[in-house]
Amino acid sequence: MIINKSEIAGLLDNLVKEYRVYAPVQKDGIVTFEQINEGTQAKPGATSKKPPKEILFPQSEELFNYQVDSQGLRMEDKIDDTKSVAFGVRPCDAKSMMLLDNVFHNDEYEDVYYTTRRKNTLIISVGCNQPASTCFCTSVGSSPFDTDGSDVLLTDIGDSYLAEAITEQGKEFLCKLNLPASDDQAKTKAEETKKQAQLTSEVDTTGIKEKLDDMFDHPYWESLYEKCLGCGACTYLCPTCHCFDIADEAKDCAGCRVRNWDSCMFPLFTLHGSGHNPRTSGKERWRQRAMHKFNYFVERYNASACVGCGRCIKNCPVNLDIRQVIADIKAQDTGSEVS
Amino acid sequence: MQKLTKEIQDTAKKLLEENKVDLVVGFAKGSLPLRSTPYFARTAEQAEELVWNQFCENNLANYLKKREEKVAVVAKGCDIRAIVALIKENQINRDNLYIIGVTCQGMIDRNKADELVNGKEILETETNGEEIVLKGKDLEQKAKVEELLYDTCTRCAYGNPVIYDELIGEEQPAKEPNFEDIEKFEALSAEERAQYLAKEMEKCIRCYACRNACPMCYCDTCFVDESTPQWISKRANSAKDNLIFQGVRVFHQLGRCADCGACERACPMGINLSLLTRKGVKDVKETYGYEAGLNPDDKPVLSDFETDDPQPFLMKE
Amino acid sequence: MNKNNPYLPIPMRLVKNFCETEDKLIHTFDLEFVNKEDQENFKYLPGQFAELMVYGQGEAPFGIASSPNEPGILKFSVAKVGVVSKALHLLEEGSTVGVRGPLGNWYPVEDLKGKNIVIIGGGFAFTTLRSTIQYLLDPVRRGDYGDITVVYGARNPGLLLYKEELQEWENRDDINMVTTIDRPAEGWEGRTGFVPAVVEEVAPSAENTVCIICGPPVMIKFTQPVLEKLGFTPEQIIMSLEMRMKCGLGMCGRCNIGSKYVCKDGPVFTLEQLKKLPNEY
Repeated sequence: MIINKSEIAGLLDNLVKEYRVYAPVQKDGIVTFEQINEGTQAKPGATSKKPPKEILFPQSEELFNYQVDSQGLRMEDKIDDTKSVAFGVRPCDAKSMMLLDNVFHNDEYEDVYYTTRRKNTLIISVGCNQPASTCFCTSVGSSPFDTDGSDVLLTDIGDSYLAEAITEQGKEFLCKLNLPASDDQAKTKAEETKKQAQLTSEVDTTGIKEKLDDMFDHPYWESLYEKCLGCGACTYLCPTCHCFDIADEAKDCAGCRVRNWDSCMFPLFTLHGSGHNPRTSGKERWRQRAMHKFNYFVERYNASACVGCGRCIKNCPVNLDIRQVIADIKAQDTGSEVS
Repeated sequence: MQKLTKEIQDTAKKLLEENKVDLVVGFAKGSLPLRSTPYFARTAEQAEELVWNQFCENNLANYLKKREEKVAVVAKGCDIRAIVALIKENQINRDNLYIIGVTCQGMIDRNKADELVNGKEILETETNGEEIVLKGKDLEQKAKVEELLYDTCTRCAYGNPVIYDELIGEEQPAKEPNFEDIEKFEALSAEERAQYLAKEMEKCIRCYACRNACPMCYCDTCFVDESTPQWISKRANSAKDNLIFQGVRVFHQLGRCADCGACERACPMGINLSLLTRKGVKDVKETYGYEAGLNPDDKPVLSDFETDDPQPFLMKE
Repeated sequence: MNKNNPYLPIPMRLVKNFCETEDKLIHTFDLEFVNKEDQENFKYLPGQFAELMVYGQGEAPFGIASSPNEPGILKFSVAKVGVVSKALHLLEEGSTVGVRGPLGNWYPVEDLKGKNIVIIGGGFAFTTLRSTIQYLLDPVRRGDYGDITVVYGARNPGLLLYKEELQEWENRDDINMVTTIDRPAEGWEGRTGFVPAVVEEVAPSAENTVCIICGPPVMIKFTQPVLEKLGFTPEQIIMSLEMRMKCGLGMCGRCNIGSKYVCKDGPVFTLEQLKKLPNEY
């Protein structure tokens, strides 16, 4: 199906009546995913500074309220099942949601806050005609027009988008929009566009999981962290980082339980009540970050926890580049290859 | 710049070869256009990676605290002001530090460059003296370096290092500190000021890059991380709490802030943080005639007391 | 565990807040289920833990000290260290608290059938070991297990947990209960000496035996070589780990050792399993 770009705002206006609609919005030069009230606010095709994971897993959210008084205990959980549409998601970010699904619905437990939002949110992605120089999605098993995690994929073919349904829900959604069918010309154009989308950045990640299997005690970690400031910019802006903290905000016996993003780069993240900390310095924390992304996550869920979006590269205050880290890891001598 | 790079490399190599220092902290070429990256050279060979250009935006004083070994640092004016302040606070041992001072005309603001090219991606740059060319796909934009400098740099009066063991680069013409930006903000109504700050603080994601990039922020546990009591909410979507975080940081920096702008440069969300820090710098200068990190021999102003200290906040004078 | 939402605690009533140790730092709490349904759903085994919540303060993880054969109550022994534990210590009997659990895995009591069991504990890390002993001594299953030897040590007599029960176990002949304190103390007629030395003296046979050990790191460090000398292999040594935890569900990401989450894949591991994981705990 075809959506004319001039009709996008109108289409979003209609969606807003029925759904909560999230789209990239530009404010003060920074693009973030926000709930929009009218279509003209949206800036489809822009890559957000903060990844849209926050639609499903907000940086801060109230899990439940409680009150204990003479009438006993009352609790109210705040599960959000509003029908929502995330419009203009990048394919890498859509893929990250599939990775997060593994975490928030594991073999034993279901995080109903996340999964309820997930079930009720349609992901409408826009493929990347011009990947940025910091993008390396093809190096981590994705691509500028990857359909993983999207319900609908839009391809920018000039004056319009070609819309393809990826899932059943996506199909139903598109049917309801009464869009004109795409002609052969548009289809050809879309195919060409997809072919032309070239990444300039590549990093060889083959075998990195196995390499890291033998690298926990490697001296490489001693030097890797040296310039790192230990801030959380890389983790908070990463579409797959999912660590969080739980805290109560309460007065007397009434309050709420809040979940906030947390970061493995912070020393307090693993600090025991006794004062013992298994990850005392930046060395252990950076090792954890690299290991989690390219080894532990692979071990648990059979995929690396990196979609190659490049946000950590662009936003690191000291230009610590994960592509370089991957290349360095690959280049280390671990002894195990010596036959 | 190439000449400065060469001089820095030669100095660093010599220091390392003669075992005068164990480590030279400087900058290497970054992985992105408009970026250099902090670099730690421990051998003469590694010293050849050192560079100097207008992308050396980080404050390297951050890496010098509580070091045991002998260290040399490639430092610009603002780095050295922070170093001086940290020596006073017993965080840096001057005897173990060799300062390779570099005169500085200011560093280029990546965000200003991005704004100038209006969303296009800069892939390469070329500097010809006063002019820089920003290049990319379907992009070749010329600009005056001066117009792309960080605001903190254009208003900085300390391009010439205040202390050093060796000086590299040409002396910069003397300048007066300029607080026009703060004066403009002060002229706004209280409501306008509050509105502006609320808007800025809404952007905060509590990644603490500002705090961690700041050479003067080195508390063992920052008050925002305390849990007993928990001073402020850990929610990032609370602009009020974000302002308390920044506000307390500024108060803690009074008479200590070297006005280097490292906090603002580190912020991934583009928050105007130097507005707050510079208001503190200006107030301290006006009240006590003191600027941090200029004089290695005086006491930090708020650690000192004189009977004729002005006290407008306590009593009518 | 709340079936619909694992983050929601179930309400429980504090029926006993008992000061366990002379230094007053450990209190034992007996909790009673408020809803019958919750009691039926709360099925656990020795070694598991739960998040204990004080309304208005927050929650923190603690090992369950009661045993499934003590129906109707849950028991926790809690050291006063953080916000939640401090608030717990001050709670009046009759107060409502929240409980999220049972969480984590358990000592492999099924696999231990037909085997001799050695239990080694130190200090206030005796909580889930108490649960285990109660469980094993239950007349309906005592016959499933071979000899049971327990070595439990504390710095001084005042710091021993569950003193009455220790006495009772010492008097029984279906369990070899050895209690020790670090140094001789006035009024103490029992054994003295550090746990590793006492284990060496007691010298339980490693044959067809599994050892469960839980205590401060230094105790574990020095007991391990003793066990090795006695012939215990890493597969025969079972440990319970502590880590900073929040969600207890394997999601919040902080308690991992390598690819394992202590809250969900643990806290119980054999030494053999731990040897395959990075040394980061």
